[in-house]
Amino acid sequence: MTALLQHPGYEEQRLQRVAEQLPCRELQAGTLLALMGEPQQYSYPSIFIYGHRASGKSHVMDVLMSELELPNATVSCVECVSVPLLFEQVLLSFFGCDAASLLPRSPSLSDFVRIYKQQCSQSPAKETRYIVMEKSELLRDTDANLLPALLRLQELVEDNVTVILLSEIVWDVFRPNTGCFEPLLLNFPDYSKGELLQILSQDRHPSYSAEFYLSYINILLGVFYSVCRDLRELRHLAALNFSKFCEPLTEGKAKETDTHKLWKNIEPHLKKAMQTVYLREVSSLQWEQMQQMEERESGAVRGLSAHTHVELPYYSKFLLIAAYLASYNPARTDRRFFLKHHGKIRKTNFLKKNEKMSNHLLGPKPFPLDRLLAIFYSVVDSRVAPTASIFSQISSLVTLQLLTLVSHDDQLDAPKYKCAVSMDFISAISRTVNFDIVKYLYDFL
Amino acid sequence: TPRHATPSIPSRTLAARQPTNVLEEARTRLHVSSVPESLPCREQEFQDIYSFVESKIIDGTGGCMYISGVPGTGKTATVHEVMRCLQHVADVDEIPPFNFVEINGMKMTDPHQAYVQILQKLTGQKATADHAAVLLEKRFSSPAPRQETTVLLVDELDLLWTRKQNVMYNLFDWPTRRHARLVVLTIANTMDLPERIMINRVASRLGLTRMSFQPYGFKQLQQIITSRLNKVKAFEEDALQLVSRKVAALSGDARRCLDICRRATEICEHSAPDPSATGLVGMSHVMEALDEMFSSPYITAIKCASVQEQLFLRAVIAEFRRLGLEEATFQQVFVQHQALCRVEGLGPVGVSEGRAACQRLGACRLLLLEPSRLGLLQRVRLNVSQDDVLYALKAD
Repeated sequence: MTALLQHPGYEEQRLQRVAEQLPCRELQAGTLLALMGEPQQYSYPSIFIYGHRASGKSHVMDVLMSELELPNATVSCVECVSVPLLFEQVLLSFFGCDAASLLPRSPSLSDFVRIYKQQCSQSPAKETRYIVMEKSELLRDTDANLLPALLRLQELVEDNVTVILLSEIVWDVFRPNTGCFEPLLLNFPDYSKGELLQILSQDRHPSYSAEFYLSYINILLGVFYSVCRDLRELRHLAALNFSKFCEPLTEGKAKETDTHKLWKNIEPHLKKAMQTVYLREVSSLQWEQMQQMEERESGAVRGLSAHTHVELPYYSKFLLIAAYLASYNPARTDRRFFLKHHGKIRKTNFLKKNEKMSNHLLGPKPFPLDRLLAIFYSVVDSRVAPTASIFSQISSLVTLQLLTLVSHDDQLDAPKYKCAVSMDFISAISRTVNFDIVKYLYDFL
Repeated sequence: TPRHATPSIPSRTLAARQPTNVLEEARTRLHVSSVPESLPCREQEFQDIYSFVESKIIDGTGGCMYISGVPGTGKTATVHEVMRCLQHVADVDEIPPFNFVEINGMKMTDPHQAYVQILQKLTGQKATADHAAVLLEKRFSSPAPRQETTVLLVDELDLLWTRKQNVMYNLFDWPTRRHARLVVLTIANTMDLPERIMINRVASRLGLTRMSFQPYGFKQLQQIITSRLNKVKAFEEDALQLVSRKVAALSGDARRCLDICRRATEICEHSAPDPSATGLVGMSHVMEALDEMFSSPYITAIKCASVQEQLFLRAVIAEFRRLGLEEATFQQVFVQHQALCRVEGLGPVGVSEGRAACQRLGACRLLLLEPSRLGLLQRVRLNVSQDDVLYALKAD
């Protein structure tokens, strides 16, 4: 296993420690070490590492940098909201705070290069310096010249420095239109099921045997592998549900070898976890509390998405219903639904070619204010005066984001709206006012 | 600290070398920076400007003149020569003495800097732009009987354009004041500049004293070169004629003409078998220099592109023909690219390779591309004509 990590420039023991910390990533770490070369050798100016989330990009860089004690500046592009912060961090971690304080108030790229060069001549690099940029896809949103300059920083500052970019997306969508120095591309593939098993089974509980924990991970992967291959997520789920898995053992109902019994016990529990805690409907803390309280069935606590019930004033409810009807019904059918004396028109006669598709699949359509009010007056039984309060309720529905304004904000005359609530939400609301919305929807005719 | 350093061209440490042979002699004479004392072929324009400025200086009045012409027709050189002559005449007391101030729109970071520069050159005072405008306003509007006439040359006038046009307005308004004694000569490239960008009150103050410099004809260009060379026998007659005819046909730019001649002398020097015994610059050398100057680099770039890049260009044209449009998405072109690869018997090409080829072509501006973050939906257009691409791809 450690045979892959051999490099003349570094001590054997350290490489061994690195290999222990990087299960299933020896190949990538070996490639990186080969690219980096011995500490005093010049490395390639820029390396671009891409791979899915939780494929160990940052971890590998972190372990390599810390274990081999390489001079490095690890910068997260999310934290560096402005370019000066990035420059400051790099200078800070290479040359200490004196250098960082030399930067002028709003430093440009050339200021950075100048100060870097100046510091570099005072303390020349004995080893390759590494700048590790995490989430580097955000570099594309900064100044257009930053990414090309970072890619050839070695040339600019005339120092033994290598920039390592970590990203989840491919290099093709990074390349600036004016071209740039091409970095070396390195892919971190996803962990396979076996590799996930190997990594997850490392953090076992000390009071249980390794085989027991392995069988637990096996069951967990059997449930979750089809929907989730994210190591972090799986690790989190494994930690959350392990106590439930051990329950039969503590109660003395089963032994460690009763795999089938244990599986029977945990499987419905994991299935429920997929619908609740995996979707963050129920927070991890609530989930743990639910496991403590035996009698209450897990999932009985209402999740986040069950809290969609909103208390609205009476007319607001009708306004929202009217908006929903206006959004999802074609305007031609309004006569048929909302006038008293209309001829019966069957749906087949109404259908145009492009309306075969359900309006609910196409999403809401914009409607003018007049139509909203017309439908509103026909669905409300009593006589309602068009007072200021009715109109202000419309605009407060917009601020609650239940309606959206489609035309310009400043338009007073005939503004257009869209209804932004789901079918479930509106049927819940119409039930509270005893209104049968399905009868009025063209799609369900 | 280096933050306050002024950028400058490094100064020369060694003295300039004396020319050793005929060709080097010719090259120094043909250099654009060695402006001769008298400009041939611009006698009429010289006379016009001279008499305009002279009459204003003698009368002690002011006025504006607008000079236009394509680049390389000797506008600035002629005006400078006029000023030199007038200065000479003023030195021998034939006309009253005058100040000459020159500003260049290209050398300013902001149009309002014009005030600062004029003030500094007139009085040596330093002031902010607003203050300088006030001071100049006062200077040109208050009576000062002993004041000398000021001749102001404004080069690259179009860059002094601001949204309110106050800089231009002031420049043209000051000469109309009674006590100003200011002559403004303005130079720009286009003839209809006053009509195009100036509002009426500015254009009317500029007045109708216009002069346009026509591009040089081939005879004039030939004359310019011969006068520059001044009896140095370095060129064959036919070669000179070819250069001037070519340049006259394309632009009539004298600077371009001189550049080509200088390049031809270099080519002649390099192609000679023996460095000491170089002959005259002949037809072939001039032809080579002309080719270098005028041939399109795009075709050479396409010819030298890699196989995949050339295939991509062919795919672009094939897709344009299929769609009947001059624009396609990368996705559409890539399908053609793959098909072409199959036809050519090359290995299948991946999307990343295809995009790399596409973006390399975009970086050297053979293609016009949208930002690369659009992915496969990035739209592709050709920056060269289809005929050029086909010619370049067919040639081998």
